[in-house]
Amino acid sequence: MPSLPLWLSNTRSLIGFTLLIFIVGAALLAPVLAPHDPNEQDLINMLLPPFWVEGSDAAFPLGTDSLGRDILSRLLYGARVAMTVAIFATLGATLLGAFLAHLAGYFGGWVDWLIGRIIDVWLSFPPVVLSLILMVGLGAGLWNVILAIVLVDWTRFCRVLRSEVMVVRRRDYVSAARLLGFSHVRTITREILPATLPLLITLMALEMGIAVVVEAILSFAGMSVGNEVPAWGQMIADARQDVYNAPSTLILPSFAVFVTVFAFNILGDGLRRSLDTRLTQTERA
Amino acid sequence: MFATIMKMLLRRLLVAIPTLLVVAALLFVVLRLLPVDPAAMSLPPNATNDEVAAMREAMGLNRPLPVQFLIWLGQLLSGDFGMSIAFRRPVWDLVSEALPATIELAFLSMIVATVVGVAGGLLAFYFRDRTAEAAIDFSSIVVLSLPEFLWALMLMLIFGVWLQWLPFMLRLDPQFERPVITGFLLLDTLLAGRPDAFMSALRHMILPVMALGISASPAIMRVLRSSLLDTYQEDYIHQARLRGLDERRVLLRHGLKNAFLPTLSLMGVQFGFLFGGTLLVEVIFSYPGLGNLMIDAIRNVDLPVIQIVGLAYCIMVLVISTVVDMLYLVLNPKLRVR
Repeated sequence: MPSLPLWLSNTRSLIGFTLLIFIVGAALLAPVLAPHDPNEQDLINMLLPPFWVEGSDAAFPLGTDSLGRDILSRLLYGARVAMTVAIFATLGATLLGAFLAHLAGYFGGWVDWLIGRIIDVWLSFPPVVLSLILMVGLGAGLWNVILAIVLVDWTRFCRVLRSEVMVVRRRDYVSAARLLGFSHVRTITREILPATLPLLITLMALEMGIAVVVEAILSFAGMSVGNEVPAWGQMIADARQDVYNAPSTLILPSFAVFVTVFAFNILGDGLRRSLDTRLTQTERA
Repeated sequence: MFATIMKMLLRRLLVAIPTLLVVAALLFVVLRLLPVDPAAMSLPPNATNDEVAAMREAMGLNRPLPVQFLIWLGQLLSGDFGMSIAFRRPVWDLVSEALPATIELAFLSMIVATVVGVAGGLLAFYFRDRTAEAAIDFSSIVVLSLPEFLWALMLMLIFGVWLQWLPFMLRLDPQFERPVITGFLLLDTLLAGRPDAFMSALRHMILPVMALGISASPAIMRVLRSSLLDTYQEDYIHQARLRGLDERRVLLRHGLKNAFLPTLSLMGVQFGFLFGGTLLVEVIFSYPGLGNLMIDAIRNVDLPVIQIVGLAYCIMVLVISTVVDMLYLVLNPKLRVR
């Protein structure tokens, strides 16, 4: 058997990665796979049950919601929103958080003090509350959701990475690089970043899961991508009124959120183990 | 020790004041991004343009943003929290009715989170390097992967809708009159001498409390386990074993006692997140607290309410982390002699 790259050599990473390939595949192929337009209403076929329940219709394998929209198609299109947010919000939060963390950890002094105080202010805001308020100010839309998550979650990276940078900075090879006349920028990018990268990658996997949850929360509260774009959180919110007669409309999108977050979490856990970083467990809140 | 605690409280207060000022400024600026006119919104729809202009003048909306912020801050400090646009009631009344409910919910959830988290951490540690640990570890990832609002919905579906064991709407069965003494319902029902109403209120809290408590527990569990692993490197553990204590006694008397402190110091942040989690859980269970107030205010673009509720959340998070730090000082034996 050809050997897998190190980061996939762990069973957990492999499980997470495999699940994610399926989810990303479903998101990319949504226009091909979806049997219906996700917004198409079929008022004759409202609240049809999924295929394993009697009375289902083969044209709607996972049933329909209270407006007769196909659940399967909405789930597939919802995966696009979830994945787009997961990828771009995480990239943004990583760039901003890692940049400030390296700045604070490397230079110390007043830079570190200032960034530390900003983090304190951010930490006094429950993330859900801050992201909701940001969405009130920014207005609905996919890129605004991504921006809101970036502005809330950069602190998760910054807090953890900053202390890692401070440890790495004291290593001999970093002093050696400075003595050789490396500039600050070169020292950070060539000597420090490679050492903090494993932690950064692990945090990114976990952050993608968090981003999926935050998007689901925002769209559940009606403050995300807007009504015309199918999103899992919104499907969950819509299904609340039908918990008695059509619980599957609630369970299916909840399960989609769960599987996606689980995939990111187990991937992150596997990466943490195989890359052996000093991530404290509490950062996964 | 009393002096240490006072010193800590004073330091916390000194940090809290600038923090809250920045938070208030942030709230103010973000909500001014909105393309709505607070003056027009606080008047009846048939108001004339002149009336709107007069209102803008009265509200100070023609002045530069920093001046507006200072005006708002001055009002806050003088105890004027403004009027809700949607409810036509003072914001202070709305918040002071909702806050105790959220505090009760958060407090009970923290207890459940601690109990489940500590029990899980002890079990995971007790079975370390065995299959059972892998199972506990795996289930902690599963629990972490279901966010608290989905826990709330699933618990509601299973125990409320299907099994019909527990109520999942509001705070009391309809036959009970709500006594208002302190504002804390559980306390009020007891003070009013209504154990039946107390039981009803308690039953209504089980599902939301479980949802919040369970989803916050894995983090506590994981910190406790790794902290126990550190503790077991210490000499006093070997010493206790050499004295012939059985493993359980070593774990509870020596291990847990020492490993709990580092866990506690991390619970402050954890409980801050939990407090934020109450928002959606309240919405799901129609629980009349800050979360429902916030969502109502957001739906109605009720700026005065959004600002104050946002501020209330931040104050509560600061209070929680201060209380946890205080507990840390009280429980830390190193400070006992002073």
